[in-house]
This record gives sequence, structure tokens and C-alpha cells, in this order.
Amino acid sequence: MTEVQERTQFDVRAFTRTAQGRFRDELDLAPFEAEPLAPDDRDLVRFLGRVEGATMEHLRDVLMTATHKDARVTAFLVTWAYERSWIADALDAVLEAHGDPRARAAAEGEARKRWGERRAWRGPLWRTMLAIGQRDAIVGAHMAAGLIDEWVLGAAYQTLAERAGNGALRKVIDRIASIKRRHEEFFAAEAHLRLTTSERAQRLARGELQRTVWPIGSLRRAFADRHRFHEAVFGAAAGRARAEAIGRKVAAIAGLTERIGAKIAARLRKR
Amino acid sequence: MAFDIDEYAAGSRAVRWDDLDLDHFRDHPLPADTLRTLRYMTDVEYHTICYTRDLLTTPSHTDDDVARFMVTWNREEFWHGEALATVLRMHGIEIGFDQLRANRLKFGWRDYLDPAGQSALSRLVGKDFIAVHMSWGAANEYTAVSAYKRMAALESDPVLAELLRRIAQQESKHVAFYVSQARKRLAASRKAQIITRFLLDKVWQPVGSSIQPREEVVFVFNQLMSGEAGVAEARRLDASLSAMPGLSGLQIFHNSFSRLLSEHREPEKI
Repeated sequence: MTEVQERTQFDVRAFTRTAQGRFRDELDLAPFEAEPLAPDDRDLVRFLGRVEGATMEHLRDVLMTATHKDARVTAFLVTWAYERSWIADALDAVLEAHGDPRARAAAEGEARKRWGERRAWRGPLWRTMLAIGQRDAIVGAHMAAGLIDEWVLGAAYQTLAERAGNGALRKVIDRIASIKRRHEEFFAAEAHLRLTTSERAQRLARGELQRTVWPIGSLRRAFADRHRFHEAVFGAAAGRARAEAIGRKVAAIAGLTERIGAKIAARLRKR
Repeated sequence: MAFDIDEYAAGSRAVRWDDLDLDHFRDHPLPADTLRTLRYMTDVEYHTICYTRDLLTTPSHTDDDVARFMVTWNREEFWHGEALATVLRMHGIEIGFDQLRANRLKFGWRDYLDPAGQSALSRLVGKDFIAVHMSWGAANEYTAVSAYKRMAALESDPVLAELLRRIAQQESKHVAFYVSQARKRLAASRKAQIITRFLLDKVWQPVGSSIQPREEVVFVFNQLMSGEAGVAEARRLDASLSAMPGLSGLQIFHNSFSRLLSEHREPEKI
């Protein structure tokens, strides 16, 4: 919709034109030789790389719905997936600087299907059937999910940077954050617009977001890795504060409530 | 030779047209027939994300190489759409996001039932269904490369011909990916060969057929694939596809182009 672009002020065409491609060669990885990351931190880097690179898993769910009809959103998503694939590549470069294999070359444990996540495992057949009834009101839920995902990953990168206390890693994370800023900006503007203008979109968003598995792209990751991720980022007192801070931001999204925010915060803390 | 996904992704660039003299179209506009074909191609390129839905109905996305290819392929095809849309814009034909959205809305229920059907078929057939999609992708990309090259050869405008050549060059890499994937998967399974052969022979239609009115498909393929050169091109494409395991003797290009050529009616002269 032209009016969407005018009202959100996010220039999708400019975003697509200036997308960040491969940037591993611009990173200063030499300091890792003298000051390597601890194995736990490298595990978190590997997990984040896998999640950043799992965009097709997410698009598989999203494109089965009316979201695929919105050409402005799909133009963004094509570029978003491209930028995330190069973020994953940069994280691979950090692993390789330690002599570790890149994430996709390392063995990954088994995913486990949890009862509480059964709806997230639904395949394309289910989703296309549901999509017929949801129509374009579902786009708002997808935009809000993208926004919350940015907050969840932002908390993870921040935790990693603080925990590792490594200057070289901090610079890599700052670079990644500068790329992801535009993703957050787009999702925030779109979610706001779509949820403030449709009660139906709000209703769908409330239902969808409570059942989303965070971060996006983690559903099919190894169960043990997911456990470690939630423990590291949202465990203990500092982690609880991070999860609750995200919950408060969720509650401030149009049409969402404190109860939804609290549910998502609790889900982030569930290991 | 195996397709090197790392090399492909690292070397991928959005197709360039900023160094081409597009202002030249102000004094030398393209003929209406050429613009009509370009419009068709633009729609097909922009529609790639929707073809991606079909690919994602199978477990193909769990293969790292396939998933990474999809990311780069989608971006390159989007930029082909942008490049062609820029040429059309120089002629006063605007294809914005609104227009694309309106086109996609026109498909209605079919747009949901197609992936649902493919998903059901994929569940029934199992992992071998990925071979169908990869072979299908190869057939589509073969057509795309061929169409761009034919248009570049037929086109007397040097600026458009150069842009089409650049797009065709990128499309050739897409062919290489799909062919390498299809070859590997077909070679590994007799069942995959039988199902792929059957579906290509009975169901495949030239790229764009599912999203464009029949008269546009007929028009475009008559522009690009008529005459002796067109017949020879169809034969060449059939020979390439037939070289894959279990697909020998298939003539899907010759058969489908012939059908389209036979439906063509010259506009009546007044």
C-alpha cells in the first residue's frame, strides 16, 4: 500500500538498494588469536549464527499466508533474509578465527518436539488452510513477531558481549547491531500501522505471538542448544530482568496486553 | 561439476543498470510489442518469492545449500524485476508494490490451494518430491535464460540488449544450481525419476503460465520462440533436460512451445 510507505516513512526500495552483503573481510578477527572466546561463548555464537541463517524456515511459515501477497513486505523479507545470511557468515568467521568449523559444518544435536510448541510445528498444509480465514490481518502478527524477535536477539547479543568482555567480539556485535537496526525499524513501523488500524489483526497477533517460539528460527535447533541459549540469556536474575523488559515492550505494542507480555517473558525464561 | 554455493553467494551482486544510458529511451523508445514482453518478464521476476513458497512446501529448506541458494536467488531475481521495471518506467509504465500486490490478490483461492496441494503431494511422495521441484526449477530457469538470450539477439536496441545479457548471465547460474541438485537427486532414486518425468511431461508449462493470462503467454512465446531458430532452441533445451537421469526423450519445451505457437492469431488488419 502506498499509504503504508508514506505513513511508516520506511523506504523499502532504499533498504533493498543498500543491503549489507558479505562483510567478514572487514572484521578485525586477529585479536581472537591472543584473546580467544571461551567455549561457552563460542557455543552461543554458533547458536546465533544458526538462528540468523534459518530465514527460510521462517519464510516457510510466513509465505503460506497472505503476507506473501504484500509485495512491499516481501521485498523487505527478501533483503532481510539476505542480510541475515551474511550476519550468519560473519558469526562463522568468528568461529573459524578460533579454528572451529562454521556452524553448518558442525554436528548439531536433535530437535525435540515439545507439547506446548505443537502448533509451531504445523506444516504448510495446515498453514495454508488457516491462511484462507486469516487473510491479510495476519500480516500484522508477522510484523510484530519480527519486531519481538529483534528484541530477543538484541538481548542475546548484548548478553554475549557483556559475558565475553572481548573487544574484538564487541566490534563484531556492534556491526551486526547496525545492520539489524533497520530490520527493527521496519517491523516496528509496520506492526504499529497494521495493529492500530485493525482489531482483527490485533486479535490474530495476540493468538499467534503467545505460541511463537523465540527466537524465530530456533524451533528446529538442537534441544540442548536451545536450553543453553535460554539459560544464558534469560536465566538467573539478570536474565529475568531482560525477559521482563521485553515483556513490557510487548505489552506496549498496539492491541497487545500486559498478560501477553508476561506470557512471552515467561516463555523466554522456559528452558 | 558440483555447484559451489559459497562461491555463488559471495560473488552475487544486484544486476547493474546504473552505468547504462537509460535516458536514451526518451529519444528511442522501445516498440509496444517489446514492452509487452518486458512487462511479462518483470512480473515473472517479481513473482519469484511466490515460487519460493512452492519450494518450501517440501523439506528442501532443511538442506543448507538449498536454503542458502534460495536467499541469494530471491535477491537476484528481485533485482531483475527492479531493472526491467526501471526500463518500463522510462516508457511511462509504472510497476509499483501496489500493482504487484493487486496482481497477487487476483489469484484468490487458487493461491492457497496450490501450495496446499503441493504440500499434500510432498507428504505423500516424501523426500523424493524435492527432485521434482529441482527439475521443475531447472526447466523454468532454462526457459528464462533462453528467453533473455533470444530477446537480446532479436532486439535492435543496444541498451536493452546489454541489460538482457547481464540478466541472462545471472540466470545461467540459477540453471547450474537447479541442474546440479536435480541430477544428484534423480540419480539417487528411481522413484524420483518416475514422478519427475510424469509431472514434467503432463503438468509443466513455460514459466509465467500460472500467473499470466493465456493470451500474454501465447504472445510472449510467439515473439521469442517462433521460426526455425525458436524450434532449434526448443530442441536444444529438450536435449539439456533429457540429459538428466531418467528424463531422456522428454520434449516438454518443443511440445509446450508448439502449443503456444499454434494458438497464435495474427491481429486483423483494418
